[in-house]
Amino acid sequence: MIVEIIISQMPYLLHGLWVALQLLVCLLALGLVLGLSLALLEVYGHWTLRWLGILFERIFRGIPAIVLLLLFYYGVTDFVEIGSFTAAVLALGLRSAAYQSQIFRGCILSVPPGQMQAARAMGMSKMKAVRDIVLPQALRLSIGPWTNEFSSEMKATSLAYVIGVVELTRQAKYIISSTQGNILIVFAVVAALYFIFNRLGNWGLYKLEKRLAVPGFEQRGDA
Amino acid sequence: MRKTLHGLVGGTAFAVVGALGLNTAAAEALVAGVEASFPPWAYVEDGEYKGIAIDAMRAIAEDQDMEVEFKDLPWPSLIPALAKGRIDLLVTGLNITEERNEVLDFSIPWWENDDEVLVAEDSELNVVTALCCGATVGAQGGATQFQWLEDNLAANDDVGITLRSYEDYVTAVEDMGAGRLDAVVTSTDTAEDFIAKDRPVKIVGTIQQNQPQALAVEKGDPNEILSKLNAGIMNIYESGQWSEIVKEYSPQSTIRSIPTSMPDYVDAYEEPIPGYSD
Repeated sequence: MIVEIIISQMPYLLHGLWVALQLLVCLLALGLVLGLSLALLEVYGHWTLRWLGILFERIFRGIPAIVLLLLFYYGVTDFVEIGSFTAAVLALGLRSAAYQSQIFRGCILSVPPGQMQAARAMGMSKMKAVRDIVLPQALRLSIGPWTNEFSSEMKATSLAYVIGVVELTRQAKYIISSTQGNILIVFAVVAALYFIFNRLGNWGLYKLEKRLAVPGFEQRGDA
Repeated sequence: MRKTLHGLVGGTAFAVVGALGLNTAAAEALVAGVEASFPPWAYVEDGEYKGIAIDAMRAIAEDQDMEVEFKDLPWPSLIPALAKGRIDLLVTGLNITEERNEVLDFSIPWWENDDEVLVAEDSELNVVTALCCGATVGAQGGATQFQWLEDNLAANDDVGITLRSYEDYVTAVEDMGAGRLDAVVTSTDTAEDFIAKDRPVKIVGTIQQNQPQALAVEKGDPNEILSKLNAGIMNIYESGQWSEIVKEYSPQSTIRSIPTSMPDYVDAYEEPIPGYSD
């Protein structure tokens, strides 16, 4: 009977997964753009900007995701009218930016300083050297650690139901409450869906890493 | 290769802006907050909102020419969301209490509930032993049952119960099945729904509460919907639509006459009650 329920409810679970996927793409994208900017500020910026970047990053890395979600949904919305989904993107995306800034900062710093010196010696401006010499190497290096961020943010999307985003975990709860039970089996199916989703994402990222690799230049083993 | 990297960054920035833009479209309809894991009052089945409160709200909306859309939030978030104006009204099995009266305004009450003491089917406990002497009891956090247990039993050292809070009753009952709880205290409707759906539980006793339930709006009724809700409730009750809806979801229930008992501490029941007295 429960198997029938699961099969008949699969479209709703998949719809929940689709919402989770949209949330994930938006928050990671926001985190990527802002995180990379923060990393550049922290490495190359004027000390005031660097200080602001570090402050932002410390704050958002130091607050639990669920508290950020509640703060954005109930706090920020006092001033600006935003929906649940947008509030979730902002809360989780800004937090992700803080984490991603540390990934990118580490990777920028791991490009040997000699590269920058050589570029400057050839007459490149600092901006051009960062854009054309340092970043292409740093970003390639960052894909590995970024897969971690992908996985942990994907799991964090399951918290967004507390502010009314009906994603996969909430859809699972609907099935549990409309049948008044079956917690174990329903969440087992949900766990499998998250797992498959996560593996596919990481598989794609490793593919990207391989495709972008410069032959003979990097020495990362197969994952 | 550089193009690929630049393309990735640029493309994702575009995706963020696009997604945020889509979300700001303002809806004219009133937003009714529900806790959609609370059968038979409000739940989701096959992707559709269902339940007594949902169907009754739809009938009231039709009767009063209102446009209502539902928004699902977890139970502990619902009252804060209404107090903050994130939702316009609250449509679920909401008990009237003095604390809630401080932060929201109630419609006329359309239901009355007692609380039931549930134990596992094979349990030897009775209504007394299930609620004393070292028993561990579960209820939904933020619910009136939890508050009652805390004030009357947990606070009294002579009774000696351990009280546990759960996000919803399904988890509490499941935890009782796993042997971690001796009893669960929930409203009559929810208890009967568990039994109707063949969960391995039984009712060992009733705590007579005559607890009225109603819809609620923001304190002071800024959107002026209370009069429509009250008039709508009376209309669907008098037309018989209400008893059809209740019978559909909860065939064992007795229909009570509306309004049920109206506690005198409720501000919204001071005469004249909008939409009811006139």
